[in-house]
Amino acid sequence: MLEIRNLHAAIGGKEILKGIDLTVPSGQVHAIMGPNGSGKSTLSYVLSGREGYEVTQGTVTLNGQDLLALNTEQRAAAGVFLAMQYPVEIPGVTNMNFLKTALNAVRKSRGQSELDAMQMLKLLRGKASAIGLSDDMLKRAVNVGFSGGEKKRNEILQMAVLEPALCLLDETDSGLDIDALKIVSDGVNALRAPDRSMVVITHYQRLLDYIKPDAVHVLAFGKIRKSGGPELAHELEARGYADFAGEAA
Amino acid sequence: MTLAAAIERSKRNREDWKYTDLPALLARRAQNAPMPITALPATANDDARLVFVNGIFHPAQSRFGSIPSCILMGDERSGYKLTLGEHTCLVAQPVELVFTTDESATDEIDINLSIDIGANGRLTLLERHLPSRAFSTIDINVTLHESAKFVHGKMTSGGAHIARTNVNVARGGYYSHFGLTRGGLPMRHDIDVHLMDEQAQAALHGVMLLRGGDHADITTRIAHNAPHGVSRQMFKTVLGDKSRGVFQGKIYVAPHAQKTDGHQISRALLLSDSAEMDAKPELEIYADDVKCSHGSTIGDLDADALFYLRARGLSETQARALLIDAFTGEVIDDIPVPAWRDLFRADMEGWQS
Repeated sequence: MLEIRNLHAAIGGKEILKGIDLTVPSGQVHAIMGPNGSGKSTLSYVLSGREGYEVTQGTVTLNGQDLLALNTEQRAAAGVFLAMQYPVEIPGVTNMNFLKTALNAVRKSRGQSELDAMQMLKLLRGKASAIGLSDDMLKRAVNVGFSGGEKKRNEILQMAVLEPALCLLDETDSGLDIDALKIVSDGVNALRAPDRSMVVITHYQRLLDYIKPDAVHVLAFGKIRKSGGPELAHELEARGYADFAGEAA
Repeated sequence: MTLAAAIERSKRNREDWKYTDLPALLARRAQNAPMPITALPATANDDARLVFVNGIFHPAQSRFGSIPSCILMGDERSGYKLTLGEHTCLVAQPVELVFTTDESATDEIDINLSIDIGANGRLTLLERHLPSRAFSTIDINVTLHESAKFVHGKMTSGGAHIARTNVNVARGGYYSHFGLTRGGLPMRHDIDVHLMDEQAQAALHGVMLLRGGDHADITTRIAHNAPHGVSRQMFKTVLGDKSRGVFQGKIYVAPHAQKTDGHQISRALLLSDSAEMDAKPELEIYADDVKCSHGSTIGDLDADALFYLRARGLSETQARALLIDAFTGEVIDDIPVPAWRDLFRADMEGWQS
């Protein structure tokens, strides 16, 4: 379970998050929607521990563990996974090597034994084929020359391999056509699990047709302004974020 | 070449030695502790290995494998000569030249070597300099006759080293160079390649790994003296601490050397604010129907990539090492001799730790 209490965060002295309260129980998928510049991406970076984001107040725990005391890689080991809006291309590092190094690093931190080359190959191939990625994609450099859809699928593959307790999907739908959206959503849905919390960050309701949330929250001007069931997403789609524009103060 | 001659040359030709002030670097070197003498590394195979101790060929420590011992002639005074006859092929069995020193080494060791490869001959040779407390210079003169091919690896591991590799390539000949420079104070390597006849080719690749107060300088000149010549250059430099790296690369194309295809790139990764990289590419072209280019980049590790890797559980150290490996991999992966690739990688791992 993810618990965020009164979270304030700033970048370069400018406060972006102004007191977020959010609880995402294990097994649930919560959507965070909001206009551009509302703090959605900042929230995902703050939760994953990116440098340059300063938490000024509040607490964040994942299954009782204080996340804010951990650095980026320790959070990954603790089960935090951020599927990036813009996955980074890393020339010269094969996807296979990347996944292998990541999984063994995380396993080591979790006190599990590292997998040998054969075990790893078997596991990675199995997970890749389950979401429709070919062996060839494992041999290519991380995200280099991947289409938008392939990049997002690669994020889902990493998620499947690392088996996180908390998945943060930051605008996973951006840059995807309907077919790619469906494939990526299927991948995410397959990873829904009783011991996993998911936070889906999106600007549009469209994604939520494919990934059905248990709850929807509206983030605007650094705070959760409204929470509700899936129907809230449809309201937003119909009326836009104009209702929340006046609450800047 | 002696150290005195190198200093003289650097004073005479200031533009060529713009970033490498030899006397000042030697003064700085004098303040550092001497490098330890290292034992001869083991080899896993029976490849030919010719060992030079204090600049003198040492038959007892050497092994010729299946290659004829008459391949090497000469002595330390007149210079050594390695000769390969026409159609002789030493590709399957790479030759390793190991240069090492012992307690009786003088302050300066000068080596002269000429390598002559007959028409259609093939040689794969690794020139490996072990850490030494002596100042070493090495002059290598290579002659590639028609359609001869030479894959030349060079490894240096710090210390004071001044090298000049001068290569003449005849029609259809091919010179390929892979250099791994691990440190140096100072290290300077001049590579001069003369493509003397049609279809001659050269490919120069190098990785420099510098840290502490290292100073390493690779200066290349490729002269296209005939039509249809091809040259490729790819140099990668990783700099930490207060190290300084220099790459100067010149492509010269003679007036009649039409259809020349020359390409050169230098990329540097600065891991510290105090490190410095100087890159000076030069094109000097007198023919009008050629394809020549050069490029140079100097940058830090990509912050987005570092975050991405750490967000997947890699420690910062692991993430940096992976990105540095990827950076140098573009050169290392191209090495055609698997054993050299392993050797280069092992040496790089040692450097990173």
